[in-house]
Amino acid sequence: MTIEVTPRAREWLRRKGGVATVRLSPRHGCCGGRADIAVAEARPPDWPERYVRLELEGVTLHVDSTLVDQQLTVDVEGFLGLGHLFVAGASPTRANE
Amino acid sequence: MTTHQKSPSPSTAEGMGLFERLLSLWVALAIVIGVLLGQFAPAVPDALSRFEYAQVSIPVAILIWAMIFPMMAQIDFTAILGVRREPKGLIITTTVNWLIKPFSMFAIAWFFLTVVFQPLIPEDLASQYLAGAILLGAAPCTAMVFVWSYLTRGDAAYTLVQVSLNDLIMLFAFAPIVVFLLDVSNIQVPWDTVALSVLLYIVIPLAAGVVTRRTLIARHGSEWYDNVFLKRIGPITPAGLILTLVLLFAFQGEVILQAPLHIVLIAVPLIIQTFFIFFIAYGWAKAWKVPHRVAAPGAMIGASNFFELAVAAAISLFGLQSGAALATVVGVLVEVPLMLALVRIANNTRHHFPDVRTASD
Repeated sequence: MTIEVTPRAREWLRRKGGVATVRLSPRHGCCGGRADIAVAEARPPDWPERYVRLELEGVTLHVDSTLVDQQLTVDVEGFLGLGHLFVAGASPTRANE
Repeated sequence: MTTHQKSPSPSTAEGMGLFERLLSLWVALAIVIGVLLGQFAPAVPDALSRFEYAQVSIPVAILIWAMIFPMMAQIDFTAILGVRREPKGLIITTTVNWLIKPFSMFAIAWFFLTVVFQPLIPEDLASQYLAGAILLGAAPCTAMVFVWSYLTRGDAAYTLVQVSLNDLIMLFAFAPIVVFLLDVSNIQVPWDTVALSVLLYIVIPLAAGVVTRRTLIARHGSEWYDNVFLKRIGPITPAGLILTLVLLFAFQGEVILQAPLHIVLIAVPLIIQTFFIFFIAYGWAKAWKVPHRVAAPGAMIGASNFFELAVAAAISLFGLQSGAALATVVGVLVEVPLMLALVRIANNTRHHFPDVRTASD
């Protein structure tokens, strides 16, 4: 498997529509510099053509092509009834401009 | 490569462009330009100093907001929902950042500036420099830690959580810690002045960042927000920083010309504190068997400072011409070389931590 979704994340995602986007989100340093953080969001991508579409046990993932073969895991976490997806196993990276 | 298990640590050049790698040089140039401006074109700082409202310099406030807002706009507070995921890392980071760092900074700075360097620094200036060090100590890094995490192959999700938790604590802890330590140092600052400083340079930029983030993501989507909006406003922070320093040193010219050695003397406790805090957090993480991908960014956030806030608070509380403002700028001057040294230490000691895996695994 190129990317995994934990059972609890799958269940949570199904309740949210069954679609997630896994992408890189840039963070800029205050002295300059940048690092891209892998994030997962329970929604379809704005530009689907830029992503690899994967069907995983009833869940549709749109994954940034640079993240597909990274053995990442999409999981869900939260408390007090609030939850959000996160990507485990990723280091900040630096996508090409 | 993205996963922390197999990828080699990126080189400094990969994580940081020429501007950020040579930040100390640009800061030094900003000091020279500012001093020259103050000496040969004093009308410029004089004219700028006239734009004041309620004792807040409008040009300085604009520059400070320009420095701070882009960082606040990229904070994703939903990451706080992951606060239970790496409890050991967060306990270490939170304890070191808020229960140790401000007080060790005070102790180290007090010892050097008022005891060791007593023959070299007049007492009133030493107090001012100590105030600047206190402001640096109460403001842990909020943005650059992503770059340090990248350079040490840290855990991206953990870095997001620790930054959002840290920023939330800063909202409530910065002012009381600063007031307490200034009081201990016999430096009187009215509570309302500190409160105004926190309101102007933490609460307002943070609220503006949250509102901007929510509004623009709702309107244009998170990909547009990250890849277009944040990319556009990202360079404003370092530009605002350099311009603030030019302005600050246009006012500080006389101090620098009379006592250039003071910059070196201020740097001594700041450098010692940086290494001290790093090794406390890093050593604690090692003792608790925290994985390196958490230990490295956890140690970096406290070692590095949110110096834009420290500079802003120093200017707001003590004025552009104050020794406190000068001390916070010395923090900027030494930041990048020091943190790159810590990145090297972290990468060279990775094998002492439990999660080392090589590409051949």
